[in-house]
Amino acid sequence: MTTTTRTPRPASAAADHERAAISMQDVVKSYGRVRALDGLSLDVARGEVHGFLGPNGAGKSTTIRILLGILKHDSGRIRLLGEDPWAKAVSLHRRLAYVPGDVELWPSLTGGEAIDLFARLRGGVDISRRNELIERFDLDPRKKGRTYSKGNRQKVALISALASHVDILLLDEPTAGLDPLMEAVFQQCIREAKEEGRTVLLSSHILAQVEALADRVSIIRSGRIVESGALADLRHLSRTTVTVQVETDIPQLVTMLGVHDLVREGTQLHFSADTAELPAIMRTLGEHDIRSLTATPPTLEQLLLRHYGDSTESSESADGILAREEP
Amino acid sequence: MTLLTSPDGATAHTGKPPHRTRHGRHGEDRAGSQVTGLRTLLRLMIRRDRWRAPLWILSLAALTAYFANAIAVVMDGDTLASMVVFAKNPVMGLITGPGYGLDDITIPRFIVGMYGVFLMLGAALMSITTMTRHTRAEEQTGRAELIRANVTGRHTQLLAALALTLIMNLLAGALMSLTFFFSEAKPEPFSSALLFGAGIAAAGCVFAAISAVTVQLTSFARAASGIAGAVLAASFVVRGLGDMSAVAGGDLKWLSWLSPLGWSQQTAPYTLDRWAPLLLSLAAVVVLVPVSLFLQSRRDLSAGIFADRLGRAHASSGLSTSIGLALRLQRSSLLWWSIGVFAMAVIFGSFTGAMQEGAAGMPQEILDLMGGSRGIVDGYIGYMALYFAMIVSAYAIIAASGLRAEESGFRTEPVLATAVGRGRWVLSWTLVTLFGSLWLMVLAGAGEGLGAAASTGDWSLLGPAALGHLAQTPSIWALFGLALALYGFAPRLQGLVWLAFVYSAGLALFGQMMRLDEAVLNTSVFVHIGQYPAQDLAAEAVVTLTAATAVLVALGAFGFRRRNLMTA
Repeated sequence: MTTTTRTPRPASAAADHERAAISMQDVVKSYGRVRALDGLSLDVARGEVHGFLGPNGAGKSTTIRILLGILKHDSGRIRLLGEDPWAKAVSLHRRLAYVPGDVELWPSLTGGEAIDLFARLRGGVDISRRNELIERFDLDPRKKGRTYSKGNRQKVALISALASHVDILLLDEPTAGLDPLMEAVFQQCIREAKEEGRTVLLSSHILAQVEALADRVSIIRSGRIVESGALADLRHLSRTTVTVQVETDIPQLVTMLGVHDLVREGTQLHFSADTAELPAIMRTLGEHDIRSLTATPPTLEQLLLRHYGDSTESSESADGILAREEP
Repeated sequence: MTLLTSPDGATAHTGKPPHRTRHGRHGEDRAGSQVTGLRTLLRLMIRRDRWRAPLWILSLAALTAYFANAIAVVMDGDTLASMVVFAKNPVMGLITGPGYGLDDITIPRFIVGMYGVFLMLGAALMSITTMTRHTRAEEQTGRAELIRANVTGRHTQLLAALALTLIMNLLAGALMSLTFFFSEAKPEPFSSALLFGAGIAAAGCVFAAISAVTVQLTSFARAASGIAGAVLAASFVVRGLGDMSAVAGGDLKWLSWLSPLGWSQQTAPYTLDRWAPLLLSLAAVVVLVPVSLFLQSRRDLSAGIFADRLGRAHASSGLSTSIGLALRLQRSSLLWWSIGVFAMAVIFGSFTGAMQEGAAGMPQEILDLMGGSRGIVDGYIGYMALYFAMIVSAYAIIAASGLRAEESGFRTEPVLATAVGRGRWVLSWTLVTLFGSLWLMVLAGAGEGLGAAASTGDWSLLGPAALGHLAQTPSIWALFGLALALYGFAPRLQGLVWLAFVYSAGLALFGQMMRLDEAVLNTSVFVHIGQYPAQDLAAEAVVTLTAATAVLVALGAFGFRRRNLMTA
């Protein structure tokens, strides 16, 4: 694959290691012959919302369950709030809340009972906050677990997690099954959690959600982090899609540094540009008669597809295909 | 951009009206609507059960072969005669059957009379678990919805499950007839061996039909099996009472005719060789299957026949610890077991009076076997303590497997993601079950004592009955401990505890009768504590078994803390 960027680690790595909310280094986890995690390294600073992206089966849930101390890793070093999540599972769990992507509830317990139970087992429930969240998420807490739809079961786990005063929220595709209105409520709740200084590890498939919420993003592929950093930094590494309507051809573009996948369709020119070379390209374009110009910064989807796409395919062609699909 | 091909265009070119190829003729559609896809679903079920079904069938056949060959090898004329003395007492009637042919005993008659009912229980359990597995369990997991969204009828799944279960029973029955006929017991004629197998299969088929009804009642697979299991237990008890009356020469013999197990036993292979009672079994199937279909058409997919009501919006203060949760999850099962055990104990206890009257006419040998000098009443109560220990062991083992069901249903994961440690979760569940077992034995003792005291007028029986039952509890605990240790280290092998249970119960019930070595007998957990008040209580056995339980539970917790959790 292409360049792998990591967050630069300062010289005082050990101290940083203890301060970080989540720190995983070269973590390996195998199920028999299958390597679920293959030297995964992940850092999440305290107080940040960290987007955790990857295709199905890449190891997102395995990573989160190792952080919960529910699965045991084979090798590597892990610190959650400075502690070993396997050995200190119980004391750590007082400081975190977890929402799985597929919530199973006890069929005979009501949603309200399950919310209270989880929060109490975690160390206490803030009743007013709980009731406020039930209101905001529009949940009937009197229904039995077996009668809830998937989205409503998800709400039960979310409300219980958000109603607890914890340091870290581990969210594993927490809004799978929620409708767009509830998605908006969820995003607002995460912003509030961030304002309160909580750390959020948000594994998700919904790129718009991650783009809206995450300070930093890590992309996992086949059990490894292939890219990690602030969204702006990641964008900088990628290319901007440019569409220009021109009166006459612009031959310089063909040879210009940083211009890729140049395609002409009638009077339209499509190309993708290295973000770093964008000022020079714009100057060149300015010398010609241009009817219109649209420049689209790389979407998260494009960033992801660079890594998700077939590994034999070069990143250039992956970007090129996408560029033409841009509206 | 233009689409170059379209599905509609393609069909148009064939020249056939599309609606006919898609839907077929209307009349056909209507005729097959409720059972469409039966063959496909049956094949799916056979595929899913390609190990499970042969294992059940072969186990039943192997058990038959074992009983038939072992008895035939061990018994000669004299030992058989002395066994008959033992078999003729009413308590054995309660446990085994109506005692046909005991006056002129032969080895085939002995095997049929003593062991037939246990093979029937096996076939019934096979039916109940198979039916629930392919119907209600599928609905509960949501897989049935996927099936029903395809071209399958409303009743297809239920009828396919019934077909599978009936086939399994018929195969098992045929195989049991054959293994019995070709055993060392050398039973002649073959038609009687066939009747024996047919009786067992018939019992299995009736319970398949009963399960077809019970899976309609509740939306939970476990509850559906539980209700069918309760019907099985009631059938066993009812025919037990009738058979006890038959052996003792009482006038309650007709009770045996109220039980599906009784019908099969009344065929009396090698004695009366009647096929007619099996018509009752057939009639039961013919009535119950339409009832189940009717109930199924009256309810929604995944729902029971009763609508769900709203519950509490807030958890009660009791539901705030892991023990609170374990209690809440085991509560309803414990409640039903309490009712069942107490009712059964009162019924069994109330037979003490009849037993006492009958004892006057009994030969000394039976009195000796049934508890020596303290008399037949003490012997009966002591034996019942052992009997209830076995019944409550089933409760404890089922509760232990509930712990595993929680985990494999992915409900343990969110609990352990809170500040509940693994050890604490396992111990919470354990404490609830251990106290539950103790509580059930207290109820059994109290019920037994009340029944006995009321029927004999001797209220001094109350204390010894309660103590005798209560004292058996550590043997139940030990089996639970084994289940928990297996859960900790190898949850998939947790079912092996049932083998230990059947082995222990078999030795305790039949070990002496089969004249097994003391050392072999002692490997049963049920033989150590002593059947009080007939025998002295062995305090050291109580202590040892309790300590063994503690060690096994600790082992289980240790193993659970080390292993990965089952996750989605």
